[in-house]
Amino acid sequence: MKKRYTGWTTWLFMAICILALVGCSAKEEEQTGKDGKEETKKTATLAFSWSPSGLDPHSSDSWEVMRTGAAETLVKLSEDLAPAPWLAKSWEQVDATTWLFHLQENVTFHNGKAMDATAVKNSLQRAIENNPGTNDLLKIKSMEAVSETELKIETMEINAALISNLADPGTIIVDVDSLDEKDGYPAFTGAYVIKQFNQDESLIVNRYEDYWGEKAKLDEVTIKFIIDGNTRLMALQSGDVDGATDISVDNIEVLERNNKFNVLTAMSVRTHMVMYNMESPKFKQLAVRKAVDSLIPRQEIVESVMKGQGTAAVGPFSPVLPFGQISETKEEEPIEQLMQQDGWTKNKEGMWEKDGKVFEATFLTFPQRPELTVMAEVIQSKLLDQGMKMNIRQVENIDEILVNEEWDLSMYSMLTAHTGSPDFFLEIFFKSDSSSNMNHFASQAVDAMIDELHQTTDIEKRNELAIQIQEEIGKEVPHSYIVYPNTVFAVNDELKGFEAFSIEYYYNHANVDKE
Amino acid sequence: MVKFVLEHILQLFLVVFSVATLTFLLVRFSPGDPATIMLKANDVPASDEAIYAMRSELGLTDSVGGQYIEWLQQVFTGQWGLSFVSQKPVISELFARLPATLELAFAGLGIMLLVTLVLGISTAVYENGVVDKIGRFLSLLGSAIPTFWLGFLCMYIFSVNFGWLPSMGRNDWKNLILPATTLGLGLGTVYARVLRAYMLEMLQQPFVKASRARGISKKRILVFQVLKHALLPIVTMVGTSFAFMMGGSIIVETIFSWPGLGQYVMESINMRDYPVIQGYVVFAGILFVTIHMIVDFIYLIIDPRLRVR
Repeated sequence: MKKRYTGWTTWLFMAICILALVGCSAKEEEQTGKDGKEETKKTATLAFSWSPSGLDPHSSDSWEVMRTGAAETLVKLSEDLAPAPWLAKSWEQVDATTWLFHLQENVTFHNGKAMDATAVKNSLQRAIENNPGTNDLLKIKSMEAVSETELKIETMEINAALISNLADPGTIIVDVDSLDEKDGYPAFTGAYVIKQFNQDESLIVNRYEDYWGEKAKLDEVTIKFIIDGNTRLMALQSGDVDGATDISVDNIEVLERNNKFNVLTAMSVRTHMVMYNMESPKFKQLAVRKAVDSLIPRQEIVESVMKGQGTAAVGPFSPVLPFGQISETKEEEPIEQLMQQDGWTKNKEGMWEKDGKVFEATFLTFPQRPELTVMAEVIQSKLLDQGMKMNIRQVENIDEILVNEEWDLSMYSMLTAHTGSPDFFLEIFFKSDSSSNMNHFASQAVDAMIDELHQTTDIEKRNELAIQIQEEIGKEVPHSYIVYPNTVFAVNDELKGFEAFSIEYYYNHANVDKE
Repeated sequence: MVKFVLEHILQLFLVVFSVATLTFLLVRFSPGDPATIMLKANDVPASDEAIYAMRSELGLTDSVGGQYIEWLQQVFTGQWGLSFVSQKPVISELFARLPATLELAFAGLGIMLLVTLVLGISTAVYENGVVDKIGRFLSLLGSAIPTFWLGFLCMYIFSVNFGWLPSMGRNDWKNLILPATTLGLGLGTVYARVLRAYMLEMLQQPFVKASRARGISKKRILVFQVLKHALLPIVTMVGTSFAFMMGGSIIVETIFSWPGLGQYVMESINMRDYPVIQGYVVFAGILFVTIHMIVDFIYLIIDPRLRVR
């Protein structure tokens, strides 16, 4: 018996020794590597939550390509989300549908070719041909390279949002010929040049020495694609990465307890909302929509579901946008009065009832954004207290259900102004002839105002008009806006300049540095 | 032998045809539109016109019958279509991820076999002793702990706490340790109990009694005679597990950001990338049939009785 015991302890001891040796060798190699890097190269490793299928900037991977810091567009959104010059140094409107862009001089693609008006034209042409979404945003009829640095763009109709929409990653400027090369990577114009792309795994970018603007502070940035949120967190905690995007609100506390890490937040341009089907018998009447809207506990949702990482919403657009600062209108009529206007009366059980039927509605939600289901449950409980029964139904394909099936109300989430412009969201969601107007909102006054917005190029007037449109829409309560969630990043104390930004496609940039 | 091979080739053909048809139908009738998902991938609005244009570009506006015939032609000509998302041939997308999955599958299988043999033999040798009790506890733990939890636990202990091993990715052999252990450990502890049970059952056989009568020790009989007989069911289990591992372990690959087939197919399902989902299922079908063919062949080698039959 004693001999057997000794045998097992020996095996156990050996296993621990092997594991310890592996651990020690890992540490040693890491230290040696780090020392070496400090002498030769300044590098950082970032963890992103999405993995691109490729590097084609005019595909559904355009946002991931932009996030690498290797690519640029003609226009950039500034910190206040206004369109600012980037590869286009200025622009002017020639007539209602024609714009002339003056391009930056001395810009070269990563393969050394000059970026001139013809190259930009070819790139934009490919973008609108390959991606129907980009075509929708730009509405380009024709393009002409007037000179080496001047590009004329004519749109099919008046498109006042063209400048903002040229910040969309779908319009990234690339040397089109470089995309046909079998070996090698697309040639962009950004501060970093793509060194190596490991599918589903990582992307390595190096400083582009011939960059036309301020050069990148780091020699090399490795971007790791880590889809799982917990793995991203542990990769940061273990030191495998220096910074990570999309940190779950549940993990913020863990990181804040350790002074080695900093949590970075920014209000996003995303809005979580409840959408009412205005053709549903339950929500046809404005009074009922108003009653439900006034019962939604927005602040409670921000505190409990979002753990404080968000702002109670008052309109479709986040207050970081100049046209998002609308005043909150509080419903003054009591719930009882509103419900009675539509013929509802309270029964003995305290439930609202009409024609012998209790108020009962189907409340849709979807699993892709789990926090929305929790919000739906909070709202469900609040409405039940007030005598309205909501049956939550979780569906996989929310967009299809909203178009093809009968529903009463639904949770929804959208980046309502991803290029800093209100036009696209208002057009798609509220124009009465829009086939994507899923809750059947219809108002001639709003239609006319949206048309006017498309044709208004003066920024101040556009902002004023966008606010007026929201106020007009708000009178009908087609949606209840709940919360503008924050974007949450986390970094270790060595990484500098990597910041959370309201726009979700500017991640890596030239000013990211490591101490 | 010729009959054996012909039978299995026919089986392979039937499986591929049935799997290709079933997958096509299931994917087409499952909710979710690839064009809508791709255009709204970043939660930005998309017009119906853009969605229709994308559907048309992806060939989704053609008749379902036409799409099915095209798909069958592609399957049997080895093309398997283009991925909706990357616009690259599905077959090359799958083969690009196969090495990572193979690496993990072999490592996971190695750990599983090691645990099965060491724990199985030792618990049979020391039946009802301390080792057996520990083995029973471990197998209970192995079957009760969910893979994702074990993965995160390993990551927390060995990466975050001790910093001994990398938490994710596929850079070198050290990256392989945690995912392979997560994959193989649970199965190994369970199979160890199966091996132990078979070995103890074999102890009742007349040839064992004869050996004992000749004065051969129990340990020697177990390791050199009984183990050989008990290997037959283990080969079946190993074959099935290996086929599963080769198909890519979705959970382990996702947790450890391992760039294999499992993680890829998960993303493809989320994006409703029909050609990839269909291609993957056909690929997995071929893999299962082939591995079962190999297992059947190994049976013939291990068990002479089957050869006689």
